[in-house]
Amino acid sequence: MTSRTVIERVTYDKTIGIVNNNPLGRGFAHPIDIAERNGELYVLNKHPGFTRVGVCTYREEYLREYGTYGHGDGQFWLPTGVAVNADGYTFVCDEFHNNVTVFGISGEFLEKWGEEGSDVGQFGGPSGIAIANNGNILVVDQNNNRIQEFQTDGTPVRSWGESGNEIGQLNQPWGICIGKDGSIYVADWGNDRVQQFDSQGTPLKIFGGPSENGGCLHRPSKPAVDSDGYLYVSDWGNEAVKIYSPSGQFIQSLRGEATLSKWAQEFLDANPDESSQRDISDLMPELPSHFNTPYLISTQIESYFWGPSSVLVGEDNRLYVVESSRHRIQIYELL
Amino acid sequence: MVTVGNVTEGRSLMAHLIRRTGFGATQSELDRLEKLDYNKVVDQLLNPTESNHLSDDLVFRYHTEVHEQRGGPWSAKQWLYRMVTTETPIVEKMALFWHGIFATGYAKTNQARALSVQIDMFRRFGLGKFDVLLEELSKDPAMIIWLDNQDNHSGAINENFGREILELFSMGIGNYTEEDIKECSRAFTGWTLRNAEYMSVRAMKDSIWPYGRISWHYEYRDEDHDHGEKTFLGETGNFNGSDIVSIISKQRATATFISRHLYDFFVADEVPVPQWPYTPPRDPEAIETLADAYMSNGHDLTEVLRVLLKSDFFKDSCYERIKCPAEYVAGCLRVSNSIIKPTMLMNEAVNVMEYMGQTLLNPPSVEGWHEGTEWINSGSIVERVNFAYEVWRNSGSLEVKDITARLSVSGDLRPEEAVESCLKFMGPLELTEDSARNAIVDHVSKKGPIKFGDCTGEMMADAEERVAEILALIAASKEYQRA
Repeated sequence: MTSRTVIERVTYDKTIGIVNNNPLGRGFAHPIDIAERNGELYVLNKHPGFTRVGVCTYREEYLREYGTYGHGDGQFWLPTGVAVNADGYTFVCDEFHNNVTVFGISGEFLEKWGEEGSDVGQFGGPSGIAIANNGNILVVDQNNNRIQEFQTDGTPVRSWGESGNEIGQLNQPWGICIGKDGSIYVADWGNDRVQQFDSQGTPLKIFGGPSENGGCLHRPSKPAVDSDGYLYVSDWGNEAVKIYSPSGQFIQSLRGEATLSKWAQEFLDANPDESSQRDISDLMPELPSHFNTPYLISTQIESYFWGPSSVLVGEDNRLYVVESSRHRIQIYELL
Repeated sequence: MVTVGNVTEGRSLMAHLIRRTGFGATQSELDRLEKLDYNKVVDQLLNPTESNHLSDDLVFRYHTEVHEQRGGPWSAKQWLYRMVTTETPIVEKMALFWHGIFATGYAKTNQARALSVQIDMFRRFGLGKFDVLLEELSKDPAMIIWLDNQDNHSGAINENFGREILELFSMGIGNYTEEDIKECSRAFTGWTLRNAEYMSVRAMKDSIWPYGRISWHYEYRDEDHDHGEKTFLGETGNFNGSDIVSIISKQRATATFISRHLYDFFVADEVPVPQWPYTPPRDPEAIETLADAYMSNGHDLTEVLRVLLKSDFFKDSCYERIKCPAEYVAGCLRVSNSIIKPTMLMNEAVNVMEYMGQTLLNPPSVEGWHEGTEWINSGSIVERVNFAYEVWRNSGSLEVKDITARLSVSGDLRPEEAVESCLKFMGPLELTEDSARNAIVDHVSKKGPIKFGDCTGEMMADAEERVAEILALIAASKEYQRA
């Protein structure tokens, strides 16, 4: 545990994205999760009717997309998590279909596995997915309150976790990430905490909790960990991001400070009637007292996080915060 | 435990009370209520505690679109979850009542979050003093955009809100002059919303760009308020909007207008509002009683409802109302105990309400919906019957299991006994036409008596299937359309 006081771990960089109201094309439609490979960002969109994986870059180049809305092969209904392995295969879990869909490197459908249930290999609303350091697939099995590990072909390897609020127990967990040392971090949503496990599922540490101190969490959605072991949590219920040292000490909270993305600016340039009024508006207004929850405040203040559903520490040493209700990604530089 | 053929008068009355003040009661709720004093139950209903319902967090996580509430159906879905799962249904019922009167719609506002904020306002103030509610309504951002009050400026009034607050929201046509409308409008100049110009452009274009909707809140612009002297309903002064609300709220015409609405919603269907100036109330004495309660209790709506719910005219009004689609859909889901976690069924429920003629948060006009028998036509009745049948046909629902368990106490049942018993659980309902009852009995008879065995295993599962089918067929009856 470090004894020095860390004031800030990240600083705001920029925002990418724009709301997309179509089943295809650039922009995001309720982005719910994000993965990265070779500088490409794989953004999973959950909007009913517009579900898909959209691939773009930090520079807001929109490259390609795959997966559509439906019940067939390569289709999603309520997709919740995305991961990309070293071979470039994409894995998407779907809490309605209770399965994992696998796409090839060009986005072609390869296979899907899993079904509803609570037996080994079955799912109760899978909500998060990650690639373990041994290449296996880890799936958060939300309503079965467990983590399941699979080979890439869907063969079950092991599982752990049960319902409860003791160490090692889970309450409707959501997102998952893997540390450099192979540790597994799980957003224990209903218990307002992140739990760290070793690669075999043995509980190691707890971050956050529902207490009133600055480092508390409320319904966290996704953890991300950097190469130094610092933990970044999208604190979905608080409309915030919380940052912890490797020892679990809370060090920084983010509320969001979005600016106009390249795509957003292009929209406003093409719509001067809106941009001229926007320019003279106060978009950080003082709010009436009955807007007294982080959620209500985020509905009114556009630059704040609203529905931070996922975080990612990129290969470029940046923190990416995905906001499902603002359809964008706020990016922070790691200091 | 209720035995077959033994529904007490008290249980029946409680079922009536909960249908009207909520969305219907399960059998276990009625078990508890029938032991209590009716007047005390009314008093408890009118003193609702903080709402306990299926957690918004759970709903938001599952339905990502409900978290954002960009579109009207997404907000309607959240409201429907509340109606179905709340422990204080009267709060939602009052919100529905006011939504029908202060009808504000998505079609023009293009801002579902603001409509949710308005419904929340109804939850907070809907059972309080009418003056406070009317002032909050006048400050409500969705209402401001809906009736153009952001365009109501000192020296250049827009009369839209000034007219409707009198005609549709408080006194009713014939109780004020055109001059009163102008003076009223002058008093509400400067009542607008923050960043009104930007928000108006976005609303007009239905713009969701770049980052989705930005919700609204009220702003008073003193520099845009007409500070001159005004004469309104015979009183003269330098009135602001709050003064106008006070003057409106103390009028007997307001008491009568609101009372007739309460009677229409809680007691028995009236003719549509546009006919009120020409058609006397169904029960003029009841309206006078309620108006008196309004005037003598400081315009406190809880006290008016207390008088209403304890009155004989209320107790004698069983099945005198056609359920509106929201009541019907929420009632089916709630009483069948079908919603215990977020489910895609709610998407269908919101859609089907629209097919039945009621798009929550998007009324056809500022006049709201025409209720009563106008809910029923050849298209809507098919939607109603199909939805109710589908919900009640689910033998896995907790209420179907409970009712089956209650029926099993009497041992195996002949088809006619099973149908009679299920009718009691579903209301109690009485089918007015023998042909409907006989059709159900004939259908059930095809498989013989309902057998429960030792109340476990396949035989019980089969009994649950057959009871679910009877309940579904009863839910398809014309009598089930009424509350």
